[in-house]
Amino acid sequence: MIASLARPGSSPLHRLAAAPKLAGLAITATALFFVDDPRLLATAFALGLTVARSTGAHFAEIGRDLAGAAMALAVLGLADWLLVDGATALAVVLRLGAIALLAHAVTMTTTTAELFEVLERLFGPAERLGLIDAGRAALTLTLAIRFVPLIVEEAQAIREAQAARGLDGSVLALAVPLLVRVIVRSEAVADAIDARGFPPERAATAPPRPPAIRPEIEADTP
Amino acid sequence: MSDTNPERAGGATGVDPRALAQTIVFSGVTVVRDGRTALDRVSIGFEEARIGIVGLNGSGKSTLLKCIIGLVKPSAGSVSVDGRDAVGEARAIRRATGFLFQDPDNQIVFPVVGEDLGFGLKNHGYSRAETADRVEAALTRLAIRHLASRRIHELSGGEKQLVALAGVLALAPKTVLFDEPTAHLDLKNRNRLRDVLQALPEQAIVVSHDLELVADFPRVVMIEAGRIVRDGPADEVLDHYREANR
Repeated sequence: MIASLARPGSSPLHRLAAAPKLAGLAITATALFFVDDPRLLATAFALGLTVARSTGAHFAEIGRDLAGAAMALAVLGLADWLLVDGATALAVVLRLGAIALLAHAVTMTTTTAELFEVLERLFGPAERLGLIDAGRAALTLTLAIRFVPLIVEEAQAIREAQAARGLDGSVLALAVPLLVRVIVRSEAVADAIDARGFPPERAATAPPRPPAIRPEIEADTP
Repeated sequence: MSDTNPERAGGATGVDPRALAQTIVFSGVTVVRDGRTALDRVSIGFEEARIGIVGLNGSGKSTLLKCIIGLVKPSAGSVSVDGRDAVGEARAIRRATGFLFQDPDNQIVFPVVGEDLGFGLKNHGYSRAETADRVEAALTRLAIRHLASRRIHELSGGEKQLVALAGVLALAPKTVLFDEPTAHLDLKNRNRLRDVLQALPEQAIVVSHDLELVADFPRVVMIEAGRIVRDGPADEVLDHYREANR
């Protein structure tokens, strides 16, 4: 489950600001794609494990959080081993495993609010070019994190209701009502975000912004 | 910029709600949406500390509430709050007027309780330090400080509703608009919310199908097909409402 894995703590990574953590992760992940030596990749993997453990999370906890990623990695490794060779498979698994561990460490020590602020700053140059609205783009990503568990719950509720009526396993039968529910909810969420004062007040003095994603509800003229 | 009075921000008790009440005036407001008249030439004023609004589904109750903070723009007529136009000065009105939505899941934007409470404060320009103080005060006021680090999707419906209310109260509004606040709550949480509502020093306008919730209000308004059809003390209006919908 996504829903913010951040856990309270006082490890060095917890104390580090979000921006250098995310920058470090991006640089390390990119650099690892230029490394093929299995000894170096094994070292990176061990380092990833150490960093993840340094956040205070136990190995069992890390394993639980990354179970899905580990499964995907196992399938990928197996495919590489069958289609290419064992050395390539090992390199892919170690490289992606190290990145997953480092990303997990960053996720566990960075709150969504911190992530929101970094994203806002990151999108700043694009906003100055008039390409996007940084605040709205950051909020969109935050909303995605917030609403994934809710949408999963709604999908389960639809599945259960359909199973109770004897309808099992139809993707279309799940997708259509789920889509309708998400659209209806998005209207209500947009209202709530407006009511909570978004976009922030600094917008009043900021340069002109691109058009709003969702304009105010305009009533018809009678 | 902000109201730093600790009583207002952090849990006032014994504050006279009338001191906080805003004057809300609807002048000939008509709202037509998708070809349907949601409000029909509504002219009414609100200045009491507690106002209940009742009516059947689709009668225009929520539309009326949303007009107050400019979420819905009238097709004709105008709404003002303490003399400010609800459409033209919506931001200023939203600073002083909180809105609690029916489904707290729609209102809560961040995945962790403490972070979500900070969202509204950040939007209204509060500093980090003041945001932290106000978040703490709002959680303490509703006795949910222990939820500060909890993830939203792990909370019960009642806890989520209280978190959403804490997010509203953190801004120290003068008025809180409640849109069917007990619709998703079990009896225990409904009673808890009723107790919280009774103790609020802020002016409260409550749209509800839960007639007990507004039964001791000095004023209740009944809406039918977008029109105000009854306006008076709770017992009188609620009796009529019950009778009309047998």
